[in-house]
Amino acid sequence: MEAKVIAKSDIGAWMKGLADKCDVIAPVKDGDVSAFKKIEDFGTLSIDLPTPTVKGLREQFTPETETLFEYKLTGQQAELTSDTAAQKDRLIFGVRACDAAALKYTDAVNANCEPKDALYFAKRKQTTLVGVCCTTPAWSCFCTEIGDFLANPIMMDLYLTDIGDKYYAEALTPKGETLIGASQFQAATDADKQAAESAKQKVIAALPSPIDHAEKGKDFDWDDPMFTKLAEKCLACGACTFLCPTCHCFDIQECAQGSKGSRYRCWDTCQFEKFTLMGHGHNPRPSKNERTRQRVFHKFKYSPERYGILGCVGCGRCITACPVNIDIQRVVHKLEADK
Amino acid sequence: MENELRQKAKELLESGQVKQVIGYEDGSTAFKSTPCFASSPEDADRLVWNPTCVNNLAVYLPSAVKQGKVAVAVKPCDGRSVVELIKEHQINRDDVVTMVVPCPGVLNPDALADIDPKTIKNIEWKGDGISVTTDSGEISIPREKAFLDKCLSCTLTDPAVTNIKLGDSPERSPLKDKDAAIAEYEKMSVDERRVFWAKEFTKCIRCYACRQACPACYCKECFVDKNGQVWALKSTDPEANWFFHMTRAMHLAGRCIGCGECERSCPMGIPLTLIGRTLEKDVEEMFGSGAGQDPDALPILGSFDLTKDPDPCPE
Repeated sequence: MEAKVIAKSDIGAWMKGLADKCDVIAPVKDGDVSAFKKIEDFGTLSIDLPTPTVKGLREQFTPETETLFEYKLTGQQAELTSDTAAQKDRLIFGVRACDAAALKYTDAVNANCEPKDALYFAKRKQTTLVGVCCTTPAWSCFCTEIGDFLANPIMMDLYLTDIGDKYYAEALTPKGETLIGASQFQAATDADKQAAESAKQKVIAALPSPIDHAEKGKDFDWDDPMFTKLAEKCLACGACTFLCPTCHCFDIQECAQGSKGSRYRCWDTCQFEKFTLMGHGHNPRPSKNERTRQRVFHKFKYSPERYGILGCVGCGRCITACPVNIDIQRVVHKLEADK
Repeated sequence: MENELRQKAKELLESGQVKQVIGYEDGSTAFKSTPCFASSPEDADRLVWNPTCVNNLAVYLPSAVKQGKVAVAVKPCDGRSVVELIKEHQINRDDVVTMVVPCPGVLNPDALADIDPKTIKNIEWKGDGISVTTDSGEISIPREKAFLDKCLSCTLTDPAVTNIKLGDSPERSPLKDKDAAIAEYEKMSVDERRVFWAKEFTKCIRCYACRQACPACYCKECFVDKNGQVWALKSTDPEANWFFHMTRAMHLAGRCIGCGECERSCPMGIPLTLIGRTLEKDVEEMFGSGAGQDPDALPILGSFDLTKDPDPCPE
């Protein structure tokens, strides 16, 4: 597909042009943390690209809290309403290669059931993704161990690579080709292409080498004594899983207020004790041993078996967020060594 | 110091005085340590004591003592949590050996902002602050930048439940007033505070890291987790988040020792210690007693003295 370049100084004008047709969402600094927000003011555009957003794209496709339907009772009559109104098309700018790659996984999960997750796929369809190749990976990043999507991005429409005062822009889909048709984009030279290639290789060189985790995960030991050790220190919070771009589990709850109410879904996690607590009182994962194992096994063993994809993209968010320094990269390496 | 700690831990384990020693060991990177559960004398060799030892290990005590007597390495601040747990009958005084480590202050991660994290090899106390060894040499960071805010105002001495004292904490005058952090906040009107918290609580993703890292949050079932009879919504809309944080805050009134683990654990950067300190200050002013001081004192929320209560029930 085609590639062009765009001057960094033209990004604001380009986005402003797009904003007539769709919502433009980009990472901005909010206090100490960086988050994807709808851009309202293109004049003082301050997009925060160096720091990874605290959350990935999960909330863009499965919001933390999402109403499924609302009801209103009038006597014996119940009126159901669901918020099916089409939301505006949107473009998400500044997506990391790992976060986009995670969509391959969540797409597989949400399509692997009947009925398919309509709320999720409606949002996927209405979203255009513009990725940016990382220049300064976090200390916890290990995406290159998982896949080569930093060099060969997937699941996005346009991929930008920083080459000094401009971005090298590779269209990956027809949507991406349309995007680089905008007047701010110019033809790329061979030098631009080479500059982009060496920029990518420079980042990759600073990251770990590939490991066939899917193959190694097959032999993980269910009774590995490490889980007892992890369980000892794990605080059983949900920071790791709630920040994970591939984690997708939710709870369904009701909110009744007199004659009206709603049913909504909200994020849930296998790290919470009640996640697997059944109505009759049995809990198949009664202790943190089982729960810490579940997180690692689901990502590195069950997911490759079920969908042919790892359930981890190496974004490192769970590693930076863990208050007790449980490091999934180390854990997996240890499991692979122990088998 | 590290050697003394290891030696003491070994003695306790070898003699069978304790089942395990909870301390710190090297983490997955040189600027993080991780909780260590040593149950054999050999395990004790892994124990470390350096500026990265930020966690309040008292959080593990209520479950750890179920397996037998436990020794725990605490900083003077964390020792206050041990006092609270004993005071609130969550652990027996006889089930815990409190080993107090001398503490010049622990690492403020912001201090490393200008250093490439991958080049950091070691962090240790040096002079008034810390010394960071990197691939390209040693970097000294002064006290005011190196340590957490709570450390810069710390005047704490050994906690009331000290069993083993592993040296003296350096004598220093605090660099900051204990309430410097809430001084600005207290200038806000009630309406301004409402706006402030509404914005902060919008960030909350309800991962409950704040609650789980808190040694005082030991309820077997948190009010927000009740799913038979729902007390609080699990949704992340601002009101529900507000309700969770404020209810948790009120449950902690008179019990928060200000270790700051809630704020440190929050992935979303919500300044939760503001709530704890503001509330603690009120409790100190109204009831004249602080959390974590006297293990034999009655808990503020668990006692009522008609002669002292500033706001008696209306007749």
